[in-house]
Amino acid sequence: MASELHLRVVTPDRTIVDRKVAAVTFQGVDGSYGILPRHAPLLTAIAHTGVVRITELDGKKVEMFASDGFAQVQHNVLTLVCEAGEFAHEIDLERVKAAEAKARERLSGLERSSEEFIRAEASLRKALAREMVARRGSGTGNLT
Amino acid sequence: MANLKELRGRIKSVASIAQITRAMEMVASMKLRKVQAKAQSFHPYTDEIRHILDAVAGRVGATAELPLFRRRQVRTVGMFVVASDRGLCGSYNSNLLFALRRRVEELQAAGAQVKFWCYGRKGYTWLMRRGFAVERFFVEPPLDKADFAAAKLVGQVLVEAFASGAVDEVRLCFTRFQSMIKFVPTDVPFLPIGAIAGGPDAPARHGVDFLLEPDARTVFDRLVPRYLETVVFDAMLQALASEHASRRMAMKSATDAAVRMNKGLKKVYNRARQENITKELLDIVGGASAVS
Repeated sequence: MASELHLRVVTPDRTIVDRKVAAVTFQGVDGSYGILPRHAPLLTAIAHTGVVRITELDGKKVEMFASDGFAQVQHNVLTLVCEAGEFAHEIDLERVKAAEAKARERLSGLERSSEEFIRAEASLRKALAREMVARRGSGTGNLT
Repeated sequence: MANLKELRGRIKSVASIAQITRAMEMVASMKLRKVQAKAQSFHPYTDEIRHILDAVAGRVGATAELPLFRRRQVRTVGMFVVASDRGLCGSYNSNLLFALRRRVEELQAAGAQVKFWCYGRKGYTWLMRRGFAVERFFVEPPLDKADFAAAKLVGQVLVEAFASGAVDEVRLCFTRFQSMIKFVPTDVPFLPIGAIAGGPDAPARHGVDFLLEPDARTVFDRLVPRYLETVVFDAMLQALASEHASRRMAMKSATDAAVRMNKGLKKVYNRARQENITKELLDIVGGASAVS
């Protein structure tokens, strides 16, 4: 029992994950967090874009893309509330590539420091994070 | 006595109207189910956001100081109106717009200026016809396909208007989906944010102390916009559910009325036909007896 952590990933569209895992790491606004079972109650904001790495009970590792949200640990339950969350096999690489190209194009025509620039940069970061997740795992988890 | 050919035509047209309204009823109930499923899968997210907000609000201290919470003297009021894109949904739009008009008159009587943001073409045309200034009419994506991103955009626009001082108060005007047969036009205050759901006993409910990283303000500042977006999306989903349910009901009664009318017409038609036959028979019999 003690080596299990309940993970829930909730987005506006659906609840993506709701099961027991061994460990989770994710990016908070102020750095990387690693959550193990029996973590102390915690509440933090997740970085705008990030990769959540889940270690399953059998030691396999799975990655998913997550953006913009909050993480809460309470009673050995880690809840990630984020706006978008996808496993590698759910990501459409073609679309991500298109988004990346579009973001790059927008960036090149803009003044640094303008608000538009910051937005375009954010969408580029999102595209890149998605791409990374999609490339690295087929969703079944082949990272060790 | 209506002539037979005319009657036949009317029976046919009423029957085809019934067919169309029946199809529309089915489409509406299917769409209603879809919206309800969307609302269902959206609930956990709202719950979590509220829950976290509850937990953090206690840590931030006096929220009255924060820009989005500060009450100002109300000179201009922003109204976000969610009506439907299409008609044929019973009194859905007229109920909503009637309630809206009453509220607007109230506000104007109090000396406030009213600005509008609008989703749904019916609401937009209504406002334009009456000479109200619509700041922005949201068309993309259409309400039918509205997802969380759409609500997010609306939330951002409204917050922006409030924060920049263009309006001193924002209200959401939409139809609350109470049950399959009850839809209540409402308008609820949106900004400034009043009391957060939790209230003073919230920390007690959470009991255990928790780590808050990096600090309460940072988390809270990111949380509030998310919370507002969920409120907007909730309003949009309720409005959409009400629209479909309302259309379903309107189409159902239209179908029933058409079927009833068809029955009546058929009766009249058959009587007329019968009478014609009798008359012809009498003619034949009369003619035959005259010959013999």
